[in-house]
Amino acid sequence: MPADTDPPPIERDLVAILGRDRVLTSPDALLAWECDGFTVHKSRPRAVVLPQSTDEVQAVVELLHGRGVPFVPRGAGTCLSGGPTAGERAVVIDLSRMRAVLQISTTDLYAVVQPGVVNLDLSTETGPMGLHYAPDPSSQSVCTIGGNLAENSGGPHCFKYGMTTDHVLGAVVVLPDGEIARFGHASGPRAPDELDLLGLFCGSEGTFGIATEITVRLCRNPSAVRTLLASFATMSAACRSVGDIVGAGLVPAALEILDQATIRAVEASVYRAGYPEDAAAVLLIELDGPPEVLVEEAAECVAFFQRHGALQVEEASDPGERKRLWRGRKGAFGAMGRIDTDLYVLDGVVPRTRLEEALERITAIGERHRVRLTNVFHAGDGNLHPNISFDGRDADATARAVAAGREILQVCVDLGGSITGEHGIGTEKLEHVPMMFDDGDLDVMERVRRVFNPRDLCNPGKVLPERHACAEVAKWPQMVDKLMAGDDTTEPGR
Amino acid sequence: MTAVTHCPERIDEVAEWLRDGAAAGRRVRLVGGGSRQHERAPIADGVARLDLSRLDRIVRLDPGDQTCTVECGLSRAHLDEALAEHELELPCLGDGTIGGLFAADPFGPAGAPPAQSPRSLLLGLDAALADGQPFKSGARVVKSVAGFDLHKLFVGSHGRLFVALRLHLRLKPRPRAMRWFCNEGLDATAALALLDALRAAAVPPDVLALRRERGGSCTLFGRAAGRPTVVEPLLREHDLQIVDQPIDCTPPLPSGDAELLAGAAAPSQLPQVLALLPDAASLTWFGGGRFHLSLDDPASSDRALTALEACGAAATVRAASRPDRLQRGTPRDRAAERIAEGLRQALDPDGLLS
Repeated sequence: MPADTDPPPIERDLVAILGRDRVLTSPDALLAWECDGFTVHKSRPRAVVLPQSTDEVQAVVELLHGRGVPFVPRGAGTCLSGGPTAGERAVVIDLSRMRAVLQISTTDLYAVVQPGVVNLDLSTETGPMGLHYAPDPSSQSVCTIGGNLAENSGGPHCFKYGMTTDHVLGAVVVLPDGEIARFGHASGPRAPDELDLLGLFCGSEGTFGIATEITVRLCRNPSAVRTLLASFATMSAACRSVGDIVGAGLVPAALEILDQATIRAVEASVYRAGYPEDAAAVLLIELDGPPEVLVEEAAECVAFFQRHGALQVEEASDPGERKRLWRGRKGAFGAMGRIDTDLYVLDGVVPRTRLEEALERITAIGERHRVRLTNVFHAGDGNLHPNISFDGRDADATARAVAAGREILQVCVDLGGSITGEHGIGTEKLEHVPMMFDDGDLDVMERVRRVFNPRDLCNPGKVLPERHACAEVAKWPQMVDKLMAGDDTTEPGR
Repeated sequence: MTAVTHCPERIDEVAEWLRDGAAAGRRVRLVGGGSRQHERAPIADGVARLDLSRLDRIVRLDPGDQTCTVECGLSRAHLDEALAEHELELPCLGDGTIGGLFAADPFGPAGAPPAQSPRSLLLGLDAALADGQPFKSGARVVKSVAGFDLHKLFVGSHGRLFVALRLHLRLKPRPRAMRWFCNEGLDATAALALLDALRAAAVPPDVLALRRERGGSCTLFGRAAGRPTVVEPLLREHDLQIVDQPIDCTPPLPSGDAELLAGAAAPSQLPQVLALLPDAASLTWFGGGRFHLSLDDPASSDRALTALEACGAAATVRAASRPDRLQRGTPRDRAAERIAEGLRQALDPDGLLS
C-alpha cells in the first residue's frame, strides 16, 4: 500500500488487524476488484482486505459492522452476475488467500476446506485417493469453493450429481455482526429437528455471512468414463436426442450442447477441439459408472443419435481424447473473446421439454436486437447459456445486449423456467427478479435476510431488488431502460 | 375442549382461513395424514387443527422434464402410483402425505451417496405464512438459484415456520432392476464390514440401513437398484438375501416410558455409537447418516444422549410420553440456534403455528 502513508481511520484499523500489505486502498490496486465476470456493472470499492484465517475475517467483520461500513465477500471474482461487485463505500473481503485444505476423510467421504480453495485443486488433491469434488463450473480451474457455496454453483456434471448445495455438508460462518456460527455436520447438512440453515445459506450470494471453513462431500471416482460427441444438422435433432436419452431413464453425467456459432468460435481459438464446423449443433455426452453398464448405455445413446440423423458420432478413446472433447466445451466462454470485447452470459432455465421452443424464440430476439448470439448449454437440465458478444465501449451495443438479455429471461420464465440456473441474481438480474417473484414473495425473503443481516451491511444491494434492499452498485444504463420499455430509437454504433 | 378442525379442499381457502384466524390470534396445528403427530406435543386447548389431507391433487406431472407439482395433502402412495405409469419415482423413503414427508424428513438420504435426500428433491413451493400471506420460493424446473431458497427451510421444519401448499418436486427414472435384500443375524463386526463393502460398491444400494436389535443382533437391509448388469452381481458378490417386500423403515412408536431418538452420525462414528449403546436399545442407521434409536425410559435416553455427544453424533428425543422431553437433545451451536429462532420470529411473529 505504498501510496497511502496516512490512511483514514477505518483503513488504519484494518491495517492494525491485517498489516499494511494485506489492506489495499490505492486506486490502481483496486482496479482489479471493480467487477467480476459480469463487466457491465463496475464500481471500485473503498478498500480490499486479504484475511488468511477465520479469526482475521471475524475481526474485520466486527470492525466494519461496528462502524457501519458495508463489506462484500469475494473469491476469485469469476461470478457472472455481479455478485461480488462492491459499491464505492464498501470494503471487499477477498478470501482467495484462504486456500488450505484442512482435512480429508476417506472414510466419511468429505473434505474441510477454506473458502479460497480452487474448485479443481480439491479434486486434484483427492484424485490419488480415488475421490473428487463433483460440482464443476466451467471456471473450475480458477473459481473457489467459497464462491461456489455463495452462488450455489452448478456445472456440466450437475445433471447427475446435483448442485453445490447437494455437496456441502457444513460451514463455519462469520455472520454479518461478527458472530461465528456452525451450520451442518460431517454426517449431513441438517441433523433431525434442525432447520436447514446450510441449505438456506448456500446460494444466498454472500448476503448472509462469510463462510470461512466449508465441509464438502467427496464422491468416489467412477470406475469408467465414456465421452461421446454427436453432431447434427439441426439444433432440434440434438435437443430431441437429449429428450430421448433422458426419457429412456438414462442419467448421463453430462449432456451439453453447443450451437454452430459456438463451435466455430471454439475451433478458431486456442480451445480448438476438432468439433465439426459444418454441424448446426454438437451434443457432448459423458457416461460414468461400471464398464459393463457403460457398454449398454453408450449403445443406447448411439441408437438415439442415429434415430435423429446424427452426422457423425465420435467417442474419446483415451483420457487425452476425453480432455480434447471437453476442452471445446470448457473453453467455449473463453473462445467468445474472439468475437467481441465483452460477453454477456445469460443463465436462464426452461423445462427440458421446451428447449427447442426456447431456442427458436431466443434466436428471434437476437435478430430483433441485432446482437451476436451464441448458445452453449446444459441440455440435460434445460439450463441455457445464450451468450451475447458485444463491444462494451459502445453504449448502444451494450444497451441492445442487455435489452435482448432481459427478453430472453422473460421467455424462460414464460415457459415455466427461471431467470438463473447457476449464476445467481447479483446486480445483473435485480430488475428481472419480479419476473419470478411478486412483492409478497420478496417481502418474505426480506424478512429472512434481516434475520442474518439486519443492517444490510453484508453484500448490500444483491439478490433482492431495490425496494427490498439497499442497492448501491451501478444501475443499468438509461439507454437500457429505454429499450426495455420498448423504445428502440437508439442509434446503432453511437 | 375439542379442537376446531378446518379441512379445506382448495388452496385459496387456506390463506383466507389463516388470515381470518390470525386477526383473532387463533393458533393452529397443521395436520396431514396424522401419522407423525406423536412427534409433537399434544394439541393444546384453543388450538385449531388445519387438516390439509383434502388438498390431494397432482397439479402437474411432466414426465419429460421429470418434475411434478403436487398439493401438500397428496398421499405418497397415490403419487407413487401416478409416477409408476411413467416409469418415474420419488427416490426417498417415507410415507404419509407428501407435505408431511418433507416437513418431517424422517430418514434423510436413505443410502450412501449418491442417494437422494428430500432436500435435493424439493425444487420449490407455494406457501402461506401463519398470517395468511402467500409466497413462493424456488421454481418448477430442476435448476434455479433465483432468490433465497426458503423452501429448504420447510424440509424438517415440522410445519412450524409456514404452511407449504404446493410442492414442486424433482423425480428420477425408476431403476430398470431393483431388489430388496435383508441379511439378518449378523454380529456388529460382520454387519459393519458388509456395510462398508456396500458403501464402497461401484453402484451402492440406494437404500442401505443397519439395524441393531435389542440384545445386539444386527440386520443389514436395503435396495439394490440400477441395471440388471450391476444389481445381480452385487447381490451375488455380497451374498445378499433377497426379500419380496420392501422393508418397513418406520420405527415403532414407543409405548409407556419408552422414547425414540432421532439422530445423525457419520459412518466412522457408527462403531462407537454401537459400542456405547445399552443392550436394551435398538437402533436403525441409514446410509445417509440418520438414525433412529429406541430406548426404554428417559434415564436411558439421557445416558444415550451423553454418549452420542461424546462421539460427535447429534440426536434429539423424537417421541416420548412426556411432552417436555420432546426436543431434548445433544447441544446445538448457539449462533445457529439464534438464527433459527430469529427465523421463527420473522416468519411467524405471533407464534400461531403450534
